[in-house]
Amino acid sequence: MNPSSLKSRFATRFLRALTQIHARKPICPSSPTEIFRRYRRIKAAADKSMAYSVRSRRTWTGAVLWKLRSRSCGRRSVKTSTLVKSQQAIEKKTRHEKQNKNTTTTTGGHGVGFGVEATASELRELVPGGEAMDYCNLLDETAHYIKCLTTQVKVMKKIADFYSL
Amino acid sequence: MAEVLNRTAAQRQPTWNTRGLNSATEQVGNWFLNPNWNNSMDQSDPFESALSSMVSSPAAASNVPVSGENVMMRELIGKLGNICNSGDASCYSTPLNSPPRLNLSMVNLPNQSTLAPFSADPGFADRAARLSCFSTGGNFGGLNDPLMDSFKLSGNQSVNVNGTQSNQNSPMAGNSGSDKKNTGVSRSSSPENAESGVSKEESSVSQQIPSRNDAGTRKRKSIPRGKAKETPSPAAADDKVASENDESNSKRSKRDGAPAGNGNAKATNDGDEKRSKENSKPPEPPKDYIHVRARRGQATDSHSLAERVRREKISERMKFLQDLVPGCNKVIGKAVMLDEIINYVQSLQRQVEFLSMKLATVNPRMDVNMEALLSKMFQSRGLLPQGIYSMDSSAQAFPFGYQPQQGLPLNNGIPNITETQFSMKTQGFQLPSINGFTDANPQVGSVWEDDLQSIVQMGFGQNQPQSYQGSITTGQVKIEL
Repeated sequence: MNPSSLKSRFATRFLRALTQIHARKPICPSSPTEIFRRYRRIKAAADKSMAYSVRSRRTWTGAVLWKLRSRSCGRRSVKTSTLVKSQQAIEKKTRHEKQNKNTTTTTGGHGVGFGVEATASELRELVPGGEAMDYCNLLDETAHYIKCLTTQVKVMKKIADFYSL
Repeated sequence: MAEVLNRTAAQRQPTWNTRGLNSATEQVGNWFLNPNWNNSMDQSDPFESALSSMVSSPAAASNVPVSGENVMMRELIGKLGNICNSGDASCYSTPLNSPPRLNLSMVNLPNQSTLAPFSADPGFADRAARLSCFSTGGNFGGLNDPLMDSFKLSGNQSVNVNGTQSNQNSPMAGNSGSDKKNTGVSRSSSPENAESGVSKEESSVSQQIPSRNDAGTRKRKSIPRGKAKETPSPAAADDKVASENDESNSKRSKRDGAPAGNGNAKATNDGDEKRSKENSKPPEPPKDYIHVRARRGQATDSHSLAERVRREKISERMKFLQDLVPGCNKVIGKAVMLDEIINYVQSLQRQVEFLSMKLATVNPRMDVNMEALLSKMFQSRGLLPQGIYSMDSSAQAFPFGYQPQQGLPLNNGIPNITETQFSMKTQGFQLPSINGFTDANPQVGSVWEDDLQSIVQMGFGQNQPQSYQGSITTGQVKIEL
């Protein structure tokens, strides 16, 4: 196994986060609420570690991290001013990109086909950060996202199997 | 028509004016015959740079609207095509339909940069490029051998640049049509000489084109760029080639990309990609080529061209996705493929959620961190036997350095047991060592011993993961209590 591959990078990061999450000792560790909370944290840790493990610049990683930060900050309502500013900046950027996307997708839609655009919008919702991309880049991001998701699933499966043994 | 071509071939540059092929060729020939132009072309060195400079300067300076350029281009191409049409109707008849009179004066592009001697016809370059493209684009069958031979004679003299590949450059005649054909021939016939091919191409192009408009440059630039790109990325994947071309061409395309926009850049890039592909496989007919250029009966304006380029890119990416998504090979068609991709992404996301839920419910064993990590790494890396041996030795060594402190050693012992049990699963010979372990240290805590014995017995008895699971959990419960 390549020690610097995406898989190993993600695995180390995720395991570290997992141990941190497990290190918290709640009052009743097996209550459903506690399990749910842990589930949310683990999922967030998985997404975050995946986004950080990616070496190449990708739109979806930034979108994932932004979503996580906004969600966590929204809950705790900490540093709202900075978050709001960053959010506004990102919204402006996405709005601008959306305008570009509209201009390009009109021609693209004409060329690609109307039905395809409907499914493309569905794909946009699935892939984080996909709303602000043109169709061509969306397919690129989807390919990379699928690759990272498969890695994530493999590693988490292994960890889950190991833990359940 | 063969005689006409022969006449052109036989002509030397200075006498070209006097010969009358038709008015169009005459005017075309004038440009080639210009001695200044010859002198400027004597420097064989930095053809690429010269061409790029020529390309960039008009491109950067020109703000001619694309539509206007296209109109002019089309007319010029049509006129040029008619020259060729006279020679070989099959090759150029369809896309080039315009009056035979080559009225070059109508083309007024603002940039007459380096090659001042040329009566500024920026469209000429485009026409040249297109014709060369046409010639290479599978129309070689149409080119009669006598034509090529006749061109060879004049080609070698007229074009100084192609000294390196004069043999292959044979069709580099002064005649615009023949010249284009020749460039096409040379390009296809000498793919390995990418750089020299580039130089040839550029030289031939530069000879004819003092300045470029964006639409025109689109095509022409793609030729040399494609060649230039061919050497660095002959074996690269399609998308990689495209991306590389995009990145390296971004400078050039941006220079002239202002009016044309992304579409043109994409066209050049895709054209480069196509050309590089085509150059890397010289003998086979450049089918991809045709897709980039104007197909028969299809519009040649920048929009449809950009559209086509975009479609090529998208289909390329769809193919790549098809490889990623399992079970997509049978599916043909964009819509169904997209549905499959969406389903796959959804299933992957759901799997991640399910696994994270599973991890949340699993009883956390924090102390197992490093060992878990290591073992997992070992497993994933396939070093399982060696890892187990090392664990085994550490397990054996552990009790001897062991102090009767039940808290820490117990916690550390469990992972050793789990490790050894894993090894037992796979090999099943650590049991004696564990037995020895328990026997050797009677002063081990009673809980510890009981757990060990129960675990060992269970392991001995069944040697199955489920039993181990049960034993581990029971052991854990005991120890945690």
